[in-house]
Amino acid sequence: MLQKFTRFYLLVLLLIIQPFTAKVCAQENVVLNGTIRDKQTGESLFRAVVRVAELPSIGILSNEYGFYAISVPKGSYTLKVTQLGYENFTQKINLDTSKLLNIQLEVIAVLTEVVVESGRKNDNLIKPQMGTETLNMNAISKVPVLFGEKDILKTLQLLPGVKSAGEGNSGFYVRGGGADQNLILLDEAPVYNASHLLGFFSTFNSDAIKDATLIKGNGPAQYGGRLSSVLDVRMKEGNNQAYTVNGGLGLISSRVSVEGPIQKDKSSFIISGRRTYADLFLKAAEDFKDNVLYFYDLNMKANYKINSKHKIFISGYFGKDELGLGETFGIDWGNKTATIRWNRIISNRLFLNTSLIYSDYNYNVKLKNKETNFNINSNIKDLNLKQDYTFYASPKNTLRFGFNSILHTITPSTFTGTVNNSTKKVGRSGLENAIYISNAYKATDKLSLDYGLRISAYSLMGGDAYNIYENGLVRSTIQLDKSSVGKTYVNPEPRITSNYRISDQASIKAGYARNVQHLHLLSNATASSPSDQWIGNSYNIKPEIADQFSVGYVQQMSQDNFELSTELYYKFLQNQLDFKDGAEINTLSDVESALLFGIGRAYGMELLLKKKEGIFTGWISYTLSKTERKIEGINQNNWYNAKQDRTHDVSLVGVYTLNTKWSISGVFVYNTGDAVTYPTGKYAFQGNTLYQYASRNSNRMPANHRLDLSVTYEKKRKKRIQESWNFSLYNVYGKQNAFRITFQDDPDDASRTQIIQTSLFRWVPSITYQFKF
Amino acid sequence: MLRRFNIFFIFSVCFVSCDKEINLSLDKNTSMLVIEANITDQPGPYFVKVTRSVAVTDKNVFPGVTNATITISDNLGKRDTLIHTIDGVYQTNKLRGAPGITYYLEVQVDGKKITAESTMPQKVALDSLRINGFEINGVERYNIIPGYTDPIQLGNSYRFIQKINDTLDQTFHVFNDNLNNGKVNQRPLRIGTDQLEIKLKDTISVEMQCVTRDTYLYYYTLNQQSSAGPGGGTTPSNPPSNIQGGALGVFSAHTKQVKIVRVN
Repeated sequence: MLQKFTRFYLLVLLLIIQPFTAKVCAQENVVLNGTIRDKQTGESLFRAVVRVAELPSIGILSNEYGFYAISVPKGSYTLKVTQLGYENFTQKINLDTSKLLNIQLEVIAVLTEVVVESGRKNDNLIKPQMGTETLNMNAISKVPVLFGEKDILKTLQLLPGVKSAGEGNSGFYVRGGGADQNLILLDEAPVYNASHLLGFFSTFNSDAIKDATLIKGNGPAQYGGRLSSVLDVRMKEGNNQAYTVNGGLGLISSRVSVEGPIQKDKSSFIISGRRTYADLFLKAAEDFKDNVLYFYDLNMKANYKINSKHKIFISGYFGKDELGLGETFGIDWGNKTATIRWNRIISNRLFLNTSLIYSDYNYNVKLKNKETNFNINSNIKDLNLKQDYTFYASPKNTLRFGFNSILHTITPSTFTGTVNNSTKKVGRSGLENAIYISNAYKATDKLSLDYGLRISAYSLMGGDAYNIYENGLVRSTIQLDKSSVGKTYVNPEPRITSNYRISDQASIKAGYARNVQHLHLLSNATASSPSDQWIGNSYNIKPEIADQFSVGYVQQMSQDNFELSTELYYKFLQNQLDFKDGAEINTLSDVESALLFGIGRAYGMELLLKKKEGIFTGWISYTLSKTERKIEGINQNNWYNAKQDRTHDVSLVGVYTLNTKWSISGVFVYNTGDAVTYPTGKYAFQGNTLYQYASRNSNRMPANHRLDLSVTYEKKRKKRIQESWNFSLYNVYGKQNAFRITFQDDPDDASRTQIIQTSLFRWVPSITYQFKF
Repeated sequence: MLRRFNIFFIFSVCFVSCDKEINLSLDKNTSMLVIEANITDQPGPYFVKVTRSVAVTDKNVFPGVTNATITISDNLGKRDTLIHTIDGVYQTNKLRGAPGITYYLEVQVDGKKITAESTMPQKVALDSLRINGFEINGVERYNIIPGYTDPIQLGNSYRFIQKINDTLDQTFHVFNDNLNNGKVNQRPLRIGTDQLEIKLKDTISVEMQCVTRDTYLYYYTLNQQSSAGPGGGTTPSNPPSNIQGGALGVFSAHTKQVKIVRVN
């Protein structure tokens, strides 16, 4: 299988590359290449725009590792490099032969703007990418968040098309997809549970993060494996010029990170750690002294430049959560990831990155009484090999191609202890392979295209028995031996995005993408829980497929200071999963017997108005959307609203810089309540009042809205020490937003039913101290 | 357990969570028939209760249906027509329930026909009630472990009704042998609310029922829906039931044993 795949892949590659190479050679072009970095820290810069003043139709972007290459006819040129937040770089250069030029950009001394997007000011006009937002950590540091813990996932939720999984929650839904349909990558390693403490914190320690890019369903061909979005989070490389220590003290957690050169200009490292200490307060209180409640995480990264052509990066993440009640109850879960990357500049136009990635997620539940004890344990492990080539084929074409092979080993919930599992479950493995090629093509001055094809395949690997079900009953069983390979699902995933500039100020965009997902999250609770299980494709579970069509319009206003962008999307989903009522997902010997399958659709409009520069910056985002599912066996097989279907979603974010010391920021959000099922009636049964239900999710939680404010004070820099204080107030006007609604007999008058709304987080003040030296 | 923990977590971290009563406009109710029908291995009479559901905003007064014609028959050819007593409660005359026999319920009311079928499982002996003590935050707490040995054959389901000093524990306790098949039970009856707890000197009575898979599923689903918030609570719906023809409730043929224990 793999062999066939490789052969096919090479063939496609040859066919696509050949015309470019032939054409380029004939023109006697020369190549200028190198890397683009931050002068102070040595961090590589992604998506810096490289242009040649004399050839206005040429413009390319640096890749993830800061590599760029541009080919032009022999001659003298003026090279221009721009990146938002950095001084423009201009240099005259005489290109009679191919040259290497490493470029260092300087941070603009007084950074007045707080921006959402890195890149050139009017990038959005020329890039064909759609539904893409890059968050830069500096940019989000002033946006108020719950508990004052700046958090990339919570800030993302303020963008159009992205919805929060609940108040204060770091989980998110993109364009109607489920929480498991987001591919969350930390230095290319998939993170299976991106939250701490039941979702109130994300696993990303903002001190260790360089930036994060969210792509809403129109991911370039190098990404794949999830339907809704890609969130590509990249860790800092570590300052290769000087040692710095960063830290923060907050009410809930504290963090510290150290970075610096191993060898100046050649290699650097960063280590960053974070821990919460709510449990320390609990210990002090007699009533809660047995309660355990904390998380910690650790990020590490180092890089080494072997020579001008080879560079190696090693990065790792380790995080763990512990919740417990003395000896009697405990639950812990955690992610581990490790990535080794090898950057290789093969020629002045061809760049290769090879990654070997390991990722591990597991959870444990422990219940213990005097006589009984038992554990539930589940685990998912990935071993991942990736090769990604960037080929600056010609001034108009940049090719990306490569492959990705992941071996998934999934151990479903297993019970041990005095309560034994009667039917032992073994781990299943699946091999996920993908090859891809894409081309960023600047067709004319006005039209640019990014098109590509990804072919993904998922093979069931031997070592377990697979049951085939018909109406919940086993029809047949396929026993796969250890060495054998079962069914292989192969899916082509074509993708295209295009951008047409209608004027200097405006452009229109259109795109289509198919995404395929081979791993599925099984959760029968209405909210996410660490004990949700992942499961791979099987004979019953087919790959989930999403087709997304989108069109967009971008308009720059008043000297590019304002940008209005809007996108419309329609998404159709196939092979969606849900459960039968009463499914016991943790104890069933084969959870597949309780699964139901169906389709989904999501459509909507997203509007984003940004003010990008000046003493006042910020954005307004608005999403109007609809998300539905139709699952065989649920809601009489009729369409119903997905839980995360919220019709209106509005966010306002503003940062006002008073002077070099003080700045004020605010966030206002409003959204329609979640789709839920309220009872339509009640009845008495066995001494209880039970409720009668009609159609699923046809009701609404009350609408949510809230205002958060924060003030940041930056102390004047003393020698090398930089300090700042952040004071914030979450939910300024104390709106009691509904977290949960319960129907119950009134304890004071058992003859009536009362409807109780539980709210969290009224007026949560927080204070954070940050330092850097 | 997890649910209770979550609630604890939310309260401890969020200094200011609060509950308040609200009004919601709910969808209009279509009143449905509710059937609560049991037959056991103990001497009769057995009862079938037929009521109607009411709107959520109405008083908790559930009208009994008094004009139903109800029969229970079995796979041995016996047939019993039930007699209405009071407020929609009907009782059998001569039927005697026994394990292994399949019972058929038929309810006719206002031209509507509702049927259900249930086969009484074999009895598994309730040997003892064991008191299980544990400590949380310095407070000694108790729960009850019903002692029984699950048969080797897979597919046994149980329901327990617990009373603490005559107060009914409203948790639906249902077990099956997906776990621990063929072994001595170790699982305690965990009370699903903080309002009720077992203290020293309490008298606990536990009724053990060996129930069908349908009955188990009915109560298990109700249990799953009762918890809400992070980590718990599925989207609610009317639980799957063995009643055909458009009515709520369940028809359960089960064995019945009761034991009493005092916490010392």
